[in-house]
Amino acid sequence: MSLIEIRDLKFTYPGAEKPVLDGVHIEIEKGDFLAVVGNNGCGKSTLCKVLNGLIPHFITGEFSGTVLVDGVSTLEQDVGVLAKKVGYVYQDFENQIVRPTVLDDASYGCLNYGMTDYKERGLRALDRCGLTGKELDYIWQLSGGQTHLLALAGAVALGPEVLILDEPIAQLDPGHADRIYEVLKSLNEQYGKTIIVIEHHTEYIADYCKNVLLMRDGKAAWKLPAPEALSRVEELQNSNIFPPQVTIAAHHLCKKGVLPQVEQLPTTVEQGKQYFHELSFREQPILRKEEKKTGEEVASFEKVSLSYRSVKGDPHTVFQGLDLRLRRGEKIALIGSNGAGKSTLMKLMIGLLKPSGGEIKLNGKVLKDVKPEELSSMISLVYQNSEEMFIKDSIRGDIAYAMRVRGVRNWQEKTEALLTRFRLTELAGRDGRLLSGGQMRRASLAIGIALNPGILLLDEPTANLDIATRKEIMRTLNDMKEITETVMIATHDMQLVCEWAERIIVLCQGSVAADGTRDEIFGNRILSQRVGIRPPEIFAMGQALEPCALCYTVDEFLKSFQEGVHV
Amino acid sequence: MKAMAKLSEGILDKFSMDFLRNQVLKNAYGNDDTVIAGLDPRVLLAWYLFFGLVPWFVNDLPFLLGCFLLVSVTTVMARIAGLVLFLFFLGVFSQTGYLLIVTLIFGGDVSAVGPLLVLTLKVATVSLASITVFSGLDPDRLSNGLMWYGCPEKLSFSISYAYRVLPMLMEEFQNVLLSYRLRGNPPAHDHFRGKVRYLIYQVKIVIQAFYPLMLNTAKRSRTTVEALEIKGYRYAAVSKEVRKMKLASLRVTYDDFIFLALSFLWVAVTILVSNII
Repeated sequence: MSLIEIRDLKFTYPGAEKPVLDGVHIEIEKGDFLAVVGNNGCGKSTLCKVLNGLIPHFITGEFSGTVLVDGVSTLEQDVGVLAKKVGYVYQDFENQIVRPTVLDDASYGCLNYGMTDYKERGLRALDRCGLTGKELDYIWQLSGGQTHLLALAGAVALGPEVLILDEPIAQLDPGHADRIYEVLKSLNEQYGKTIIVIEHHTEYIADYCKNVLLMRDGKAAWKLPAPEALSRVEELQNSNIFPPQVTIAAHHLCKKGVLPQVEQLPTTVEQGKQYFHELSFREQPILRKEEKKTGEEVASFEKVSLSYRSVKGDPHTVFQGLDLRLRRGEKIALIGSNGAGKSTLMKLMIGLLKPSGGEIKLNGKVLKDVKPEELSSMISLVYQNSEEMFIKDSIRGDIAYAMRVRGVRNWQEKTEALLTRFRLTELAGRDGRLLSGGQMRRASLAIGIALNPGILLLDEPTANLDIATRKEIMRTLNDMKEITETVMIATHDMQLVCEWAERIIVLCQGSVAADGTRDEIFGNRILSQRVGIRPPEIFAMGQALEPCALCYTVDEFLKSFQEGVHV
Repeated sequence: MKAMAKLSEGILDKFSMDFLRNQVLKNAYGNDDTVIAGLDPRVLLAWYLFFGLVPWFVNDLPFLLGCFLLVSVTTVMARIAGLVLFLFFLGVFSQTGYLLIVTLIFGGDVSAVGPLLVLTLKVATVSLASITVFSGLDPDRLSNGLMWYGCPEKLSFSISYAYRVLPMLMEEFQNVLLSYRLRGNPPAHDHFRGKVRYLIYQVKIVIQAFYPLMLNTAKRSRTTVEALEIKGYRYAAVSKEVRKMKLASLRVTYDDFIFLALSFLWVAVTILVSNII
């Protein structure tokens, strides 16, 4: 018997015109590691909330159909009983943590349900999630990845059979993402838990998941074993899901008849080595000139040091003697693992944080002497969390605000132009907070460039977006290249880095570990390993076939390899 | 006028949210290894009942002075965060302290100073006792203590949850304020009138910033509410068993007895002294 059985499930949110779930039929076996994929808004999260009973017990709406968990209908069990069978980790997991210390939060659910061994359960869950040694830490001492593990531990502590995670690695660097998945893998294999993840990152699906469920228009389109599912390249792409780059490349070559038809296309670099081994590398003429800009300096850091006050004990040092120069017109990517100081560096540049030593200059002027209000025409920061950019009750108002209060001439026309440019005209009257992720991001970009700043800083512009929205933002960024002078992006998204940036700065433990073009950064294996950055998969694939190959996109890979089949 | 200028520069710049946030955290959790924090919250609350109430009804100067000294010592022992102490001094001063100083400057004699001193001591003693108990204990121990005395679970949860979200709220508020500061256009403030206008502008911005803050918080709390439901918060609120389990962690130790005994001894000595005088 299946652990979870869903028959003809329909659900409509109150006030919505169409049902989100429209006749879902699925069965999930015990011990599965299932990835749920699909467009934004196709009902993935809703489906998961049905499984733990929040729908229909807590969130009401029109509900019909049968959902059996462990053979019992969710309608006959309340949320409390279901919580011990199905654990849930939210996408905004930090809001899920309600207690101040780690052990306290992990065991809180068990305590509430009156389990006398709540402490032991909490400890055991922390151990399983790799948080041993952190029991007494306060939650704000944890990094993003650890916080996520804690949210997971809180769910694990109740001893559920099923664990559901909503986009577990959206905000994490590859090192932390691997850790989360390793923990999930051990929960799945050693402890026999059934794991369900909503996931956009198909490379992780290829590495870890057993099955894939595709959701389309409120229905379960199919459920297939992961390798087979990922080989359905065109179907996935139509649903805005991008198969691993290796698979896309293989699909192209297969379709062109360069490589033989196979039942299953390769999904990982390892499998790719097998499939592509006949290809030989042909050096390509350099398509993109990678010359260093020699323009004037627009920003400089001289021996900057910064430390945070900490709650207890010595201040925490973020930077020590940081030197950095940015030149006019550069397109810079700032990379490094979580906690390397990327956001802090940006906060220093806009004067939100004051350096405890050294000097920061903007356009040759010491930052300390620039009035905060003058700053805004020199530099602008688009936050990672777009919501904090919205200070008015409509996006039109938000975009116009800075220009209006400054009495910029023709501010009305300029606002309309920006709205058109970012395709926001139809949404202009809505509150920014109520938009979808991609729209919110576009709106925040429009706000960021309203005053035409010389330097534009973007903090993780593609985090938390599905691939289609991400592409759209990438297009917007490329569009913006002409109208903005100097742009710096802090990001984990290496595809974005490779496709967009001209200069890459790697931060590691508060200092600049490397600074150069993508060839200099990614071509240097020792460096990549040392600072924990990972080039896009296709780059790794190219290198695995030919150590001197430097291909950053699928197209470059195809060009370098496709014509060179041994005859 | 200089002070005014400083004040108007200051509100957003020097009194940073970062600093506030740090102080709040420090106050709540930064001193959990002190003697005071190690005491049983029930004992401390009982102790507070005495030092929070009795000084109001006694007008005996040596006794009040004795109490004041004692609570000063406990405050030092609890390692209270700087901001709280600053607020304490500001509070006492604005209540009665300034009267005391003004009286002294304008030639008031001891007969006028006496009663004022008594009042100041009362306010100061009670405040310091409150500070010792409410910020010397970490919020969880405090709320457990309150729960033992029969306060509803909802209150005690709110106390510890408030400390949990406050830092987050402050960070968010800081970012919203920053949005205003970077995109806004405050009046020039080179001369006096400009400075007054600048101050008014800043206050207005702080007020306006609450609107986005509230909306963002509402959005965040949706997840929190669902998570609480999953974690069985509602079950626990009505279950007697769970309450018992939560309170099981409270334990009276020798330290508590020593603390109570020393306090008692000290109060006895001050009463004795005041009788002799």
